[in-house]
Amino acid sequence: MLTRRNLFTFCALSGLAASAGSLSACSGVGGGDAGASGSTTVRYAWWGSAARQTAYTKAIDAFKQHYPAIGVEPEFAEYTAYQVRMTTQMAAKNVAEVFWIPSAQVLTYAKNGLYRNLDDVQTLKWEDYSKTEIEGFKLDGKLNTLPFGIFTPVFRYSQTYADAAGLTLPADGAGWTWDSLAELAVTYAKNNKDKRWAFVYNPDADLPFEAWLRQHGEQLWTQDGKIGFTADTTAAWFDWWLKLVKAGAVPTPAQQNGMAPLWATIGKSVLGIFGNSNHIIDDAKSFPDQKFTLRHVPVMASPAAGHQFLYFPRVAMYANTDKVKVEAAGQLMNQQGNVTDFLKIVGMTMGAPTNPRVAKEAEAFATDNEKQMLKIVADDRGETRKPRYEAPAGTNSWRAIMARTVEALALGQKTPQDAAKGMISEIQTGIDRA
Amino acid sequence: MGTDMSTFTSLDARASSSVSPAPVPRRRRRPAFIRHIGLTVFALFVLYPLIWLVISSFKPAHLILSDTSIIPDRMTVENYRSGWTALNRPFWVFFANSLIVALGAIVGNIFSCSLTSYALARLHFRMRNIYFGIVLVSVMLPMHVMIIPQYIVFSKLGLVNTFVPLVLPKFLATDAFFIFLMVQFIRGIPRELDQAAMLDGAGPFKTFFYIILPLMTPALVTTTIFTFIWTWNDFFTPLIYLTKVQIMTVPIALRTMVDAESTLGIGELLAMSVLSLVPIMLFFAFAQKYLVRGIATTGLK
Amino acid sequence: MTSALAAPKRTGGYHLARQGKAAHVFLVPWLVGFLGITTIPMLASLYLAFTNYNVLAEPNFIGPANFIRIAGDERFWHSVRVTLLYVLFGVPLQLGFALFLALILDKGIRGLTLYRSAFYLPSLLGGSVAIAILWREIFGQDGLVDKFLGLFGIHASSWLQNPDMALWTLILLHVWTFGSPMIIFLAGLRQIPDDLYESARVDGATTLQQFRSITIPLLTPIILFNLVLQTIGAFQSFTQAAVVSGGTGGPVDSTLFYTLYLYQQGFVNFDMGYASALAWVLLVFIGILTAIQFSLSKYWVFYGD
Repeated sequence: MLTRRNLFTFCALSGLAASAGSLSACSGVGGGDAGASGSTTVRYAWWGSAARQTAYTKAIDAFKQHYPAIGVEPEFAEYTAYQVRMTTQMAAKNVAEVFWIPSAQVLTYAKNGLYRNLDDVQTLKWEDYSKTEIEGFKLDGKLNTLPFGIFTPVFRYSQTYADAAGLTLPADGAGWTWDSLAELAVTYAKNNKDKRWAFVYNPDADLPFEAWLRQHGEQLWTQDGKIGFTADTTAAWFDWWLKLVKAGAVPTPAQQNGMAPLWATIGKSVLGIFGNSNHIIDDAKSFPDQKFTLRHVPVMASPAAGHQFLYFPRVAMYANTDKVKVEAAGQLMNQQGNVTDFLKIVGMTMGAPTNPRVAKEAEAFATDNEKQMLKIVADDRGETRKPRYEAPAGTNSWRAIMARTVEALALGQKTPQDAAKGMISEIQTGIDRA
Repeated sequence: MGTDMSTFTSLDARASSSVSPAPVPRRRRRPAFIRHIGLTVFALFVLYPLIWLVISSFKPAHLILSDTSIIPDRMTVENYRSGWTALNRPFWVFFANSLIVALGAIVGNIFSCSLTSYALARLHFRMRNIYFGIVLVSVMLPMHVMIIPQYIVFSKLGLVNTFVPLVLPKFLATDAFFIFLMVQFIRGIPRELDQAAMLDGAGPFKTFFYIILPLMTPALVTTTIFTFIWTWNDFFTPLIYLTKVQIMTVPIALRTMVDAESTLGIGELLAMSVLSLVPIMLFFAFAQKYLVRGIATTGLK
Repeated sequence: MTSALAAPKRTGGYHLARQGKAAHVFLVPWLVGFLGITTIPMLASLYLAFTNYNVLAEPNFIGPANFIRIAGDERFWHSVRVTLLYVLFGVPLQLGFALFLALILDKGIRGLTLYRSAFYLPSLLGGSVAIAILWREIFGQDGLVDKFLGLFGIHASSWLQNPDMALWTLILLHVWTFGSPMIIFLAGLRQIPDDLYESARVDGATTLQQFRSITIPLLTPIILFNLVLQTIGAFQSFTQAAVVSGGTGGPVDSTLFYTLYLYQQGFVNFDMGYASALAWVLLVFIGILTAIQFSLSKYWVFYGD
């Protein structure tokens, strides 16, 4: 029944459809960031908030001034969104040339050959690092990732609040133990006028937990990819926290509005918080009129030797990077890890610089909080440390498992022993399945 | 169905006046007034969270979460100012991108879903029920497991970072929701009209274009409205296909404004969220005028 | 029906064949789309459900192992319970409000556009991150609800963090977005021709009788539509739970929706094989439920054709 009229209408509709379709193929409005013509373009994927995106984009622009032949295509997303996108890109085998590695995936990616070896990349320099350090960077004997920051576990508290309550925390050494902090916490919570808690309930903070384990002679992960901690030590950790909750020194998850509460809301209700050394930089901005002090986490009476450790966020090069782009990608990675000017622009929200020379030079322009962080990290870096191994494949959600466990713990649904056993067995199941 | 029967006894003044001889004027005014009061109160309840959102977007960023009162101590437009350029480009870029995708999706859906629904609702053929079943089943699989295979296909075709993966499926009737919606609407149109047309010698195409299509305007308008809003708010698909900042759509831009680990950018997030509601509100206000009664059948008899 | 009114020259069979051909012309876009964009991913995911695909390596066939694992998976059953509760309460409540408001707003009242927009506004916020902040401000510690209840001397702590209450805040969130089905109901009401009401009035029917014998019956196809699709959508609900609970499934999994669990397995644990298996279990379940809804529909749905 295709009369001429129908045909005409049909064609009109299809024409409209086709034009809308071709319109959709164009790549949208707004300026692009591709490099000059005749250049290699490298895709660079990282995560963070809008503030970090701005900082890094500025740094990338500066990089492009320096190396006009290299185009950089930024692929930025918020942390969880980043991982979703990475997953689909991995499946389709079109990951960005240079990409940050989420902490729990380091070994999973390595096991599945996602990284390209970096030894032969001419543009990526390793001169500033000692042989031991480079060995420490290797995964399974391969130098395939570049650490570009350092986190250490810290206890951070508001100097302003402490002063207001006439509180002085014991200095590092014999007086600064878990027990002494616990006592202090209970006293503070009971006596302070503003009804503040001592610190946030976050036993699932991974770095402080690892510090506890290492002080007790255990570790988070073993060299051969197994769980390195026992239920007893974990239960002791849970117990330490639970006692504080019961004493009212630490809020329950309900009272603090969930696990991982927003610092801007909870900050005014607590004296301090356990976390990573780099958190202070962003967190302090929520309370511009307060001074914060960074401390090492407490150390138990007779800790195991070499318990200090450093955690490195890493960046890697995609294994399937085109041969022609390898050097360009290496140049970008070099910028990230070894060039002070780059650091100057992006700031230190991703931790203290791994490169010792850059770290020294950073002192010149570091803010007060950044200086505190640099010092704490330098302390730990200077110690003789037992080796530290990355999370094995299959532990992708170990932190989520721990968060759920400590939630149930606070709700009284599980005893510390049961919670610890349950958590370990759940993590083990994940590892077995990988 | 949760309907309150008493409200309907005097809903239609004309009806009551033509049926009951009782004096109407006093009864007519009171219930209407009560109805308005009830609706307004309920509307305020429903809108309270949004009112809070709008007002909070005008609070200084560090006060947003700490001060939950609805009447702010201080007002500022700082959030809007810094939020506008938060991602190194004016925010209208993201609006424009979202608009292109949404408009493409609308044209696509109207075009393909109307054709498909007509065939399924009105034409008799052997495979009809099977096709209809397939249409329904395609809605039932969570998109998370389809997204990777789809991504692989589009990636191999080199269509990542274009709008094609977002718009092309709409031209191919992949939104089963609207197919089903239109089918239900078409089935509400009396067959007599089709038959009358057929007696006049019209084939399926003419019937579709001249009779069914005009009569299903409410369904088409609904499709337009919903497609626009859903595409505008869609997060997952653009996240995966659009990695370059300059072609990002609004939800992705919004999501990057707040990092899970810090609360910087909350003010900007709220401000831009409020701003991104404006186009959809405008679109909705404009489009709903067309949710008029279907053309009365009298004219066509 | 058609045969009775077909022009005398044409036989029923010929007419049917021509309709079949015409139908397939109309269906070209859908067929292309279905075969090209939907079938391949659907079949791929069905295949993956029987593998241990981890996104990074090639999938290995492992038979029904994933499904056996599902049967014994405690968190899976928990997510089923959570989702069922959500659907059982959320869908009827939301549709009830939607229908109620649509009926009130359908009669020409002043400010109709305003009310309609007001009630639809919540649905526009969708899965925005702003919802998480909003909901926290309302139901969280020292939130609005807390303060409101405080006026009456009731002191419950954060609803969002209470495993018993957290799901209800999400059900409430779902009901809050009743504007969507309300619009559809309104469109359906609009399509009921005026002259039906006219003739009924002329025949002396009361408003109530008109409502019962005209409005409701002619609205039943739309009611069925909303019922089926809102149910399917509610079973697949993801964004709101993910955003409000931060992707974790709320305090101790109390808001672990089925698709959220699926997402965690697929995108966080990279266990795409398992996630695909979960997806197909859901599909089968929804399919059966929808089939039941459809077969029951012939008892209460009235079609004009």
